[in-house]
Amino acid sequence: MGTFLGWSIRRPSNLTKLILCVCASVALMVADSHNDHDARVIRDTVLRASYPLQELAALPFSAGQAAFEGLRTNARLRRDNAALEAEVQRLAVKAAQLDALRAEVAHMTALLHGSAVPGYRVSLARILNVSSGPFSQRLTLDEGARDHVFVGQAVIDVHGIIGQVISVSPDTSQVMLITDPDSGIPVISERNGLRAIAFGTGSQDRLKIPYLTVTADIRPGDVLASSGLGGVYPPGYPVARVTEVTSNPNLAFLKIRAVPLARLDYHTRVLLLWPRKGPHTRGAGHG
Amino acid sequence: MDNPLTLKQRALILASFVAAMVLTIVPLPGAIRLLRPDWVALVLVYWCMALPERIGVGSGWVLGLFLDVLYGSLLGEQALAKALLAYLTLRFTLRLRVFPRWQQALAVGTLVALSDLMLIMIKSLVRGHPPLWSDTAPMIANVILWPFLFGVLRGVRRRAKIS
Repeated sequence: MGTFLGWSIRRPSNLTKLILCVCASVALMVADSHNDHDARVIRDTVLRASYPLQELAALPFSAGQAAFEGLRTNARLRRDNAALEAEVQRLAVKAAQLDALRAEVAHMTALLHGSAVPGYRVSLARILNVSSGPFSQRLTLDEGARDHVFVGQAVIDVHGIIGQVISVSPDTSQVMLITDPDSGIPVISERNGLRAIAFGTGSQDRLKIPYLTVTADIRPGDVLASSGLGGVYPPGYPVARVTEVTSNPNLAFLKIRAVPLARLDYHTRVLLLWPRKGPHTRGAGHG
Repeated sequence: MDNPLTLKQRALILASFVAAMVLTIVPLPGAIRLLRPDWVALVLVYWCMALPERIGVGSGWVLGLFLDVLYGSLLGEQALAKALLAYLTLRFTLRLRVFPRWQQALAVGTLVALSDLMLIMIKSLVRGHPPLWSDTAPMIANVILWPFLFGVLRGVRRRAKIS
């Protein structure tokens, strides 16, 4: 028993509290699923309060890369090892040839300064969180509206396209990977210019390309690059390699699988692209 | 409400929740991620059992709201599940306390699973996500983890003289 303005009142029972909480939750869910402004304000406020948590969770990435390596599977380590040994051989040859090495350095610098993607400015962003499941494939980056990140912005790594920004808060942004089941990216075959759309499957190593008729000229090994149609992704950047083409005589369309070229599950840093012309230009890229 | 908690004791309880949330969002490689226990739920259940007068439905709801934002899920679904979990724990807390440890683990696992079931229902109703077998992996991890987590948190609570 307590008193409130001279009235004696009971503390609310747990059941009362539960009912209140359920009502509040349902109201929030309804507001959020209609993308209501107030729900977004609440989300942004809580997100800002929890930003230190995300930084804390990202610490093992930046501080203890070695510890993280230990958790990787043996097979992947062995494969990495073989790839690295090959790389060592290649670099040993290159080291003997100063010119070749200089060319390589120029290439790397060009990649970082965005000349590899003509008409775009590039900046590095750090991955804070990865949420990967059959229904959503997302990344959280440490750059947000304050760093001029905008919704619809393309995100790439040095191997290919990773995805696009779908929501932005002041200090962080959410990226939908090209393997997200809601994602579709217009592509063009580099071998013969065949146009298609690559959809995500919810699995990080697979894309599907529906709606190509059985007469379409596409075979395993074909590299698909972004076509630039739709205006979100930059044209001519690698997206996927076709791995499997099956033709079922009962169906009108081919069943095509492809593997993304960007290494979606490897890096802790990705590149954000800004078109050079347009409203969202950057003061100074620090890439 | 008899003996108010000191600032240090409050900070300790808060720190246990913060640690649970960080453990929840630390990135893990694929196979291990499936077996990640619901740290926040287990810590919430522990404090509800230990301090039913202070940690309850309201604390659970606020925690859930934070989880919603961290997961990027529909705002309010985790909040609802965690409030429900706190309520169920408070309801059965006297019985839970006298159970032997392994039986307690099973009971707590069941309570958390009940609140997870709520989540799965909301997901399939609102977003059309069907339930998956992989949803049950964290439930098993919860039961396995509980006896150890209980021991650790009880040690912390006794050392800090929180009662």
